[in-house]
Amino acid sequence: MSKLCIGRIVTTAVVVFTFLISASDLSAQFQPPGSLGALAPANIAKPRPKAPFDITGAWLHGGTPERFDPPTGFKLTPAAQKHFDAAAKATKEGKIYRNDIGLCWPAGMPIMMTRVWPVAMIQLPTSIFMISELMNSLRIVYLDGRTHTDPDIAVKSFNGESIGRWEGDTLVIETKNFVDEHHWIHDRMGIPASDALHIVERIKMVNEGRRLEIEFALTDPKMWEGTWKMTKTWNRVDDRDIQEVECLPDLNEHMPTVRSTDHVR
Amino acid sequence: MKLLKVGGTLAIAFLITLSAYAHHSAAGIDQTKSVEKEGVVKQFKWANPHSWLEVEVPNGKGGTDVWNLEMNPPSFLVRAGWKSNTVKAGDKIKFTARPFKNGDPGGIFQSVTLADGRTLGQTAGRGGAAPAGGAPAGGTPPATPQTPPK
Repeated sequence: MSKLCIGRIVTTAVVVFTFLISASDLSAQFQPPGSLGALAPANIAKPRPKAPFDITGAWLHGGTPERFDPPTGFKLTPAAQKHFDAAAKATKEGKIYRNDIGLCWPAGMPIMMTRVWPVAMIQLPTSIFMISELMNSLRIVYLDGRTHTDPDIAVKSFNGESIGRWEGDTLVIETKNFVDEHHWIHDRMGIPASDALHIVERIKMVNEGRRLEIEFALTDPKMWEGTWKMTKTWNRVDDRDIQEVECLPDLNEHMPTVRSTDHVR
Repeated sequence: MKLLKVGGTLAIAFLITLSAYAHHSAAGIDQTKSVEKEGVVKQFKWANPHSWLEVEVPNGKGGTDVWNLEMNPPSFLVRAGWKSNTVKAGDKIKFTARPFKNGDPGGIFQSVTLADGRTLGQTAGRGGAAPAGGAPAGGTPPATPQTPPK
């Protein structure tokens, strides 16, 4: 066998090996060429078990607190504690700390799910598209078996990267790859989120399809110790479509509550 | 029993409406006061997530101050009887608002009295008075009052 022939075999082997490695790592953001997107008809048409429920509809959070209050006895890291203390001081003085959402930074996960405005959801076999009416913030939950993107190449975002799977009658969604600034778990208490935030949601549909119960498990070792759990509920709203809701520069120029000098930046 | 059900529904609706406002940062706004002013509309913006109203109000010093009034989104205002052309630049109006604590002109809109005598608030069925706190900026949550809890 000639050296040229051996070289070709080695080159081919390397190419095939590389392809196999990449194909086995179908990450959410950077899929290999030729792989199927969540909206590709061929992907949607793939045989899969029937989903236990269809979340398609408009949902309005209600019946549980909008904010994600930490559990009793919670312990923050020093990085989070300084924000928490500053927010407490501002509140005591009748002021507001940061107010990033009011200044048009995206609410991000998990607050985008509860920020009073309805969330429209469209479920396909491969994915669930969620659009919050507030700033029309988009969240896509992939159900087609892909994995999270390598954090070293992921484009970090406020809603993170969500991958879902069915466990019995429960939809389990794991979300990570978050931004590490202007993103809050509790914007009033001054508890920030970092790029280490990991959210696990366990979603059940109850009350004959009229209500969603979502158990949140929030972990962020850069900001607090342990895992915080809370359950929140949403009601189906059939008489409501979402509208375009943009947070524009001229909006805040006309909002006294944003222009107030009682903000601590 | 029926009375209890109606009462319960109203209570829940009230709490939901309150929750639409209670979380937002009304720091700087004096929620214990309501001022009444008279002036000329400079601008009215019919928009999500907030509408707003600018009114030129005589300041007693020979000039005018521009009062910037933060309002609910159109989904609330429609239910309170508003249209996008209910007020326009040049209209003479009276209004009530929760003012700034520091005395600067501006605040959270509560109600308007038009030249034809009509008075409009910004939430349905609340007597023309807006809830304290108004609606927050960018992150402002206008709940959907037309969607009672199930």
